Amino acid sequence: MSKLEPGRPTLANDALVRVLLSYSPRVEQIGAVCDLLASLYVPHVRDPDASSRLRLVVHELLENLVKYSTASPVEFDFCIAREGAGLRVAIRTENRAAVDRLTDTEARLTALNAAHDPVAHYDEVIRASAGRREGSGLGLARIHAEGEMLLSHLVVGDRLTILVEGTISPRSSR
Amino acid sequence: MNTTQLAPFVSDNFSCTPSLARQKLSIEFTGSGDMHAMTPLSEYLKRTHEVATNLGLLEVACDFRKLTFMNSSCFKAFVVWIDSVKNLPAPYKIRFQTDPTIHWQRRSLEALRRLAINVVTLEG
Repeated sequence: MSKLEPGRPTLANDALVRVLLSYSPRVEQIGAVCDLLASLYVPHVRDPDASSRLRLVVHELLENLVKYSTASPVEFDFCIAREGAGLRVAIRTENRAAVDRLTDTEARLTALNAAHDPVAHYDEVIRASAGRREGSGLGLARIHAEGEMLLSHLVVGDRLTILVEGTISPRSSR
Repeated sequence: MNTTQLAPFVSDNFSCTPSLARQKLSIEFTGSGDMHAMTPLSEYLKRTHEVATNLGLLEVACDFRKLTFMNSSCFKAFVVWIDSVKNLPAPYKIRFQTDPTIHWQRRSLEALRRLAINVVTLEG
């Protein structure tokens, strides 16, 4: 089990927690999956703030799979590994999506990654979302700004892969 | 229900309970603001805004101390509400009461405060 892309497998070995789910996403599953993952990572994540950030990231990604997938199964690949004295997190989601969703997501992630100031960009996305009925991009922006994670993506045909990565500070790890 | 009344909303894992005293409305939010809560919360905040403007309230306090989680859709419902309030000629205040041990609240609510620093205050 060594996929975790796009592009660069960051956590090939030494995973403390690795969970790969392939399933038909439903809203009723989100809480249970969050709880399952938390039960696995909390023993390795001492800092409650880091643990809270992680739960937020997981929740937003799981909801996006429910909201935007056009076919089953989807994949959700969760990994935490040691990196030096700290922990490195990588989460990959993969799903099929409508063309307009793919275009919108690509534009949002490109803008997000080009932003010099994550907080200022987040504030801008928040302000813009007030006038949008759907697809505000708040979930992805929140993962970046509040979850303090980096996002990359890959689109092949109608298949969208999002990779979320971040480091949890040494103080947070056992 | 007329335009000056706000009823409680209760579902399996999310509730909003209002109370009114001295021109100040308090709403206690409990449970988890997830996908199930999104539509009712959005409607509830629209209704809250109607009541607050019709009664000429000075402040609406949102008690988050028993709100364990809020997803981005519920977060957006607050963005829309705050945006409506800040564009009023004489906006009422919105005060969030938080629990510092519920860590997402500080990050998320600080972002809401930055959206309307003259309207939103954080407590806790």
